[in-house]
Amino acid sequence: MVQINFAQKQINAKIVYYGPGMSGKTTNLEVVHQRAPSNNRGELTSISTDGDRTLFFDYMPLDLGTIAGMKTCFQMYTVPGQVYYNSTRKLVLQGVDGVIFVADSSAKGMEQNLASLRNLEENLNEYGKSLATLPHVIQFNKRDLPDALPLGELEAQLNHNGAQTFEACAATGEGVFPTLKGLAAAVLKHIQNDCGGGGLGRTGFHAAAARPGSGVASSGPQPRPASMPAGGAVPAPTRAPAVQQPSRPQPASAQGAAAPLKQTGFTPRTAAVEPVASSAGQLMEPASAALEAPQKPKAARPRPAGARAPAPQAAAQPAPQAASQGAAANGAPQAGRAKSAQAAQPGRRTRSAQAKAPGPAPAPALKMAGPSKAKTAAFVLTAAAVGAVLAKVVLDFI
Amino acid sequence: MRIHDQKLRSDRMVFYEKDIDRLNGELDAFLELSKARCALLIDRDGHQVTRRGEAVGSSVESISALIAGSFAATKEMARLLGESEFTVMFHQGKRDSIQLQLVGERTLLAVLFDERTNLGLVRFYAAEACQRLADVFESMSHEDRGAALSSDFSADAAAALDQLF
Repeated sequence: MVQINFAQKQINAKIVYYGPGMSGKTTNLEVVHQRAPSNNRGELTSISTDGDRTLFFDYMPLDLGTIAGMKTCFQMYTVPGQVYYNSTRKLVLQGVDGVIFVADSSAKGMEQNLASLRNLEENLNEYGKSLATLPHVIQFNKRDLPDALPLGELEAQLNHNGAQTFEACAATGEGVFPTLKGLAAAVLKHIQNDCGGGGLGRTGFHAAAARPGSGVASSGPQPRPASMPAGGAVPAPTRAPAVQQPSRPQPASAQGAAAPLKQTGFTPRTAAVEPVASSAGQLMEPASAALEAPQKPKAARPRPAGARAPAPQAAAQPAPQAASQGAAANGAPQAGRAKSAQAAQPGRRTRSAQAKAPGPAPAPALKMAGPSKAKTAAFVLTAAAVGAVLAKVVLDFI
Repeated sequence: MRIHDQKLRSDRMVFYEKDIDRLNGELDAFLELSKARCALLIDRDGHQVTRRGEAVGSSVESISALIAGSFAATKEMARLLGESEFTVMFHQGKRDSIQLQLVGERTLLAVLFDERTNLGLVRFYAAEACQRLADVFESMSHEDRGAALSSDFSADAAAALDQLF
């Protein structure tokens, strides 16, 4: 569920990587963590088993930057893919704003793909959502496997809602960012459609959803977002169009999110327009290649026949980035996964000297602050007075 | 598990500066009374609403996500045991402890405290604070709350994505 915080000028959305077990969901998130600019990514936290299988979820916040004056953050989760973890999968889906379905391209993985897709739809239905309306994309992962199914067959079996699809080999990082970019565009467009342009989204916090919506322009006493100008109902752009225009070859259209993507080589594939054979050898999009090429281990490195490429080594990354990644510097294939225990940084705790001084905390009554203490004193005095009167009456009676 | 609460499905959480000021005021009063280190208000999807008190480490976002996940898992446990929900959780550490408490329908109050205070005091004042916070949310629910973003949001979003990816 999108959270819009006008006080902090922040928008938070929840993105979930979904798919069958071992399809590459966690690997996707690890690649994003390794290669996203350090200023934009948060810590990668994993709740996993000893065998590095996801137990509850992996989590990483990603800062997309300031969009129309609002800091926009994606909270990115993966789910455990194994069938018997459905309860936890369902919990992670709570409040989801966008889904990346990571499918295994191999022939033997198709049955699990279909089962996971059905499971996703069922779990979304539990929250009153559906793939038909929820922003989502499908990633056909492991395209480097020798038994990978043709794209047309994968499209026909898995893409029933006309979602954007992407080829990927998450182990090498190929296709990971185009997939995320595609979903990000869809989610942001969805947010814009719901509550952009000065119009009202679904009103309300809780019960207000049932109230008849009144336009912002006619809402006299309605609270105004902190970022809105005082005079108008429709907030002025935080960046002047005249300044933005030169930086964009094409003016923004109603499909604003999609147009610039195509300029940068973003070519989402659909079953209707994508020749099956044309994309087999070209996994990387040009825009993403610019980001990923310097970090790829060795594009032309020979691979053993039938073997999947190893995960990118930390040493292949630019020095500042690799140095800032803690566990990733180990160079192990799964080193990018920062365990939650490693995330703790006691050195950054901020506790004042005064705070450490007191010994054991006294009883609650002694810790009361001014108003509560006065109340207690008044109560004690009243009780004493009543007791004295009562005693006097009793003694007189005797 | 069938989610019957229609509000959970359809509502978006929108906070204005005035709302955050009211919530912060309640949290500040709670921290002063309880002597806790930090109070975090988190929605059940794992997004932080506001934080008061001392910093809690390098990644408030991660802590918020873990707290929400922990609470969600506990709710499922409660359901299996025939309870509707466990409204309070407590994790005790050697030095720092954390108490989690449900506020209203969709928000969690996480209180981080140490040896300067004790669980009874935190629990006592947290119960009061949660009631007051729930009242704030209740009053917010009766307001028309349009989430008006700039009309340039889509265009800016595309530019931001091009820059990031």
